[in-house]
Amino acid sequence: MNDLLPFLPGLLKQVFDGIPLFMPEIYLSALFVVLLVTDLLFGKNSAWICKIIACGGLIVIAMKDIEQLKLLLAGSQLFFSNMLLLHDKTVAFKLMIDVLSAILLLYFDWDDQLASHKKGLTDLYSIVIATVFGMHLMVMATNLLSIYLSVEMVSIASYLMVAYRAENGISSEAGLKYVLFGAASSAIMLYGISLLYGFGGSLNLFGGNLLPGLMQVNPLAVALALLLFFVGIGFKLSFVPVHFWVPDIYQGAPAPISAFLSTVTKIAAFGLLVNFLTPFIFFPGFSKVFDFGLFLSVIGIITMIAGNFAATLQTNLKRMLAYSSIGHTGFALMALVNFNADKQGITALTFYLFAYSLANVGAWMLVSYFSNTANAENMDDFKGLGFKYPLASVAFVIILISLTGIPVTAGFYGKFLVFSSVYTVYEISHNIWFLLLMITGAVTTVVSLFYYIKIPLNLFLRKTERTTGFASTNSYLLVSIAIISLLVVCLGLFPDFLVK
Amino acid sequence: MNILTLLIFTPLLFGLIIILMPSSWRFSFKYITLLATLIQLGLSIAMYLQFKSGPEYAGINAEGMFQFVQKVHWISLNLGSLGKMQIDYFVGIDGISIAMVVMSSVVMVIAALASWEIQSNLKGFFSLFLLLNTAVIGVFCALDFFLFYIFYELMLLPLYFLIGMWGGARREYAAIKFFLYTLFGSVFMLLVMIGLYLSVKDPLTGDHTFNIIQMMNPANYDSDSIFSVLAHKTLLGMPARTVGFVVLFIAFAIKVPVVPLHTWLPDAHVEAPTPVSIILAGILLKIGGYGIIRICVGIFPEIAVSGAYWIGLLGVISILYGALNALAQRDLKRLIAYSSVSHMGFVLLGIASLTPEGISGAVMQMVSHGFLSTMLFFLVGVVYNRVHDRDIYHFRGLGSLMPRYTALVMIAFFASLGLPGFSAFVGEAFSLIGAFKSPSVNGALPYWMAVCGSVGILLGAAYFLWTLQRMFFGSLTLKGGEIWKSALTDLNTRELFSLFPLALLALVLGVMPSLVFDKVNDSVLALVHFIGMK
Repeated sequence: MNDLLPFLPGLLKQVFDGIPLFMPEIYLSALFVVLLVTDLLFGKNSAWICKIIACGGLIVIAMKDIEQLKLLLAGSQLFFSNMLLLHDKTVAFKLMIDVLSAILLLYFDWDDQLASHKKGLTDLYSIVIATVFGMHLMVMATNLLSIYLSVEMVSIASYLMVAYRAENGISSEAGLKYVLFGAASSAIMLYGISLLYGFGGSLNLFGGNLLPGLMQVNPLAVALALLLFFVGIGFKLSFVPVHFWVPDIYQGAPAPISAFLSTVTKIAAFGLLVNFLTPFIFFPGFSKVFDFGLFLSVIGIITMIAGNFAATLQTNLKRMLAYSSIGHTGFALMALVNFNADKQGITALTFYLFAYSLANVGAWMLVSYFSNTANAENMDDFKGLGFKYPLASVAFVIILISLTGIPVTAGFYGKFLVFSSVYTVYEISHNIWFLLLMITGAVTTVVSLFYYIKIPLNLFLRKTERTTGFASTNSYLLVSIAIISLLVVCLGLFPDFLVK
Repeated sequence: MNILTLLIFTPLLFGLIIILMPSSWRFSFKYITLLATLIQLGLSIAMYLQFKSGPEYAGINAEGMFQFVQKVHWISLNLGSLGKMQIDYFVGIDGISIAMVVMSSVVMVIAALASWEIQSNLKGFFSLFLLLNTAVIGVFCALDFFLFYIFYELMLLPLYFLIGMWGGARREYAAIKFFLYTLFGSVFMLLVMIGLYLSVKDPLTGDHTFNIIQMMNPANYDSDSIFSVLAHKTLLGMPARTVGFVVLFIAFAIKVPVVPLHTWLPDAHVEAPTPVSIILAGILLKIGGYGIIRICVGIFPEIAVSGAYWIGLLGVISILYGALNALAQRDLKRLIAYSSVSHMGFVLLGIASLTPEGISGAVMQMVSHGFLSTMLFFLVGVVYNRVHDRDIYHFRGLGSLMPRYTALVMIAFFASLGLPGFSAFVGEAFSLIGAFKSPSVNGALPYWMAVCGSVGILLGAAYFLWTLQRMFFGSLTLKGGEIWKSALTDLNTRELFSLFPLALLALVLGVMPSLVFDKVNDSVLALVHFIGMK
């Protein structure tokens, strides 16, 4: 203990210096506590108050994120003894997470299935805030320990969210599957982390001895450790071969939770991956030990093919959206193979993720809408609904077109940026895998059109004799769906607006 | 306000008006659409009259030589050390485009008149119709590859719904087949487009650009880039520029359509309702031909020259295969669909000849086929609306029952098969002149291709005249008996009003082809000169 005394002032100063960089997260923890207390204080009526506090709080935190940009004028900052990294791309990811979480929080009680929970949704709001905190940490983590901590934090919170409607058999089955799968992949990731620590001698990705240490070890062993690590990341990102949980969980969980899992957690996991890959890519000579470009290309190709082709066979809308999100992950992985000093790959990835998340949130909102009003879950149930609910159906068409990547929507521009970034790196390196990635991306876009168009096909091109079983629903849901589809088209026409 | 921008976006504006109008006013939607297309026709004729000809306005590969140009900064994304992504809203017209634009406007008016027959979901139909209108005119005017691609893809979605919702018995199958087939070609076109973008630098700003005209100038290419002429890069083992040309050619060949990529056409044309068939046959096919001229031949001229033999071969195969298939059809609409395949083969043959006569003939054939296929599909629609049957063998001797209709059918059939005095003759003749001239002038095509093209004309006469004899001459025998006889009334005013101008145009263009050739000539000469031919 006495040996540490001389170091204490230095360590304390480090901690205090890190606090300004940690402000949004401090606000998040305060918000979490406030929410818990509000729920206790107000009891029965607390639902709408908690909702307002949660959404308002997230908007405040988003503004704090933007304020952090000022702190970054001197460049990116490592703080809390190299556990966390703040970077302007990190701020972009955090901003996306906050904005999308705020939209999703609004959406939670518009879904009849979720809102009919006996205990109310206030606990869910607190869990979401805690998840957002974990996701902020994920996006900033640069130490193997902080990576694991943040991933676990998000995972445990997501287990609770998926199993929230535990009295429903399907929901609790999905929750249990998610817990088991998630726990297993976390354990494997921890094993990979411990191997990396054993080889490198340090947990820090930047600085430290990790990378030089890894260079000296047998490449096969390093590859094994990294593969085990990627199993954990892959679980969150849902790439092959750890994607098997996605269809069952997205189908079993309530629609807003699936929306949350498919958008925000993916953004956080991508942010984590970017931070993780950066030191490896920039360390000279590491590609001889483990070629990340090749690895990500192969995984990307297989994920795109598996996700898109499996989606064509689905008859349940939720499962189809689940497989489509797997396909989108594969596509987004393309943007990561371009890792030069410039930021084109990361810009492309950010825009693509935002366009995809926005459209996906819209799609899941529409799943809720049609499930509330017409009890429609399978493709066949959608027959002829286009004429009964014209606004929602037209919005559905626009959103599905954006997910496919057809002009003039944000999704097209996202795909275009990702293709450009892969082409740029292909021009320099002439690696055949990049060309295969692009060709696979093009082919799977066409395949994805086939299954996305099944919904408008049923909505508009087919008729139904059904006259009963229609209910009316919250008009807020329809309004937000309309706003989202409008945004998708506007972003497609004027993408500059986002990349300010 | 730039007249081109007005021309492109007027239908979109009217489409938005229709969406916002209450459904109780649905009887007025067709008039609003007709008004929109008439305004468009007026604007395009104004442009045609103001179009200046002369070698300084030829405008194939020089921005200053295009007319009615509007170039506005649209998207500029700052991508760090890679510079800015510069996408402009760049529209302009030259000789080839003006012919297409005027033809499209006329066809749109006729299609709007044909839309009178649509009974259900009028709001959806007319708003999708007007959106399609915008996209189609935009494709012809766009000079920035990104903008071109956006308009090109924007056509697909309205067509899917137009075919799928208001079409015939197999409409779902036809619609999805059309959408998937065309999207497949387009997506690979996107990849080549991005490759070209990364290879070309705008000399003024130093950024990568999508400007098609800059892409035509080999000096603008980065010396190390993938599509540079000098660098001779390879993609998957083949020369990169050849791969680029082939991929773009396939994308447009699906649209033209070129055998063997034509299988979507009979289904889509037959199952679509009459106005949509008119737009498909009259305009969409020409987009493929225009794309080949503007983009494939424009950006990759040396590949076009070395591959001219194969392009000509595909043209000849289309002519003969399309005609033979037409000869075998029982369904009148399917027969006309296959005849479209055959006639567009002449366009390909003319382009492949790489001579001024050939390319002028190709453009003329596109214009003439635009009018004549519109007329043909409208005529089929007339009978189908009355009795819901199109089988040739179910009708005999219609001439005595519907004389005015038969007169117009005769004009349409004779004009389509290439009777001198009508526009199709000029188009086909010039394409064949170009093909005949090519062996001696530039060695691109052999003589036998022109000979086969002529045989195609003979086959065209065969199926058209045979159909005329089977359906219209002889004594009256109808499968549906008395019910059909009373249903088959002669043409009403609206139908007469739609068909007569088309017949007149076919005759006028056949007697005075200078109306088209004068505008087109300078650009064609500039194009041939640009390719390096004589």
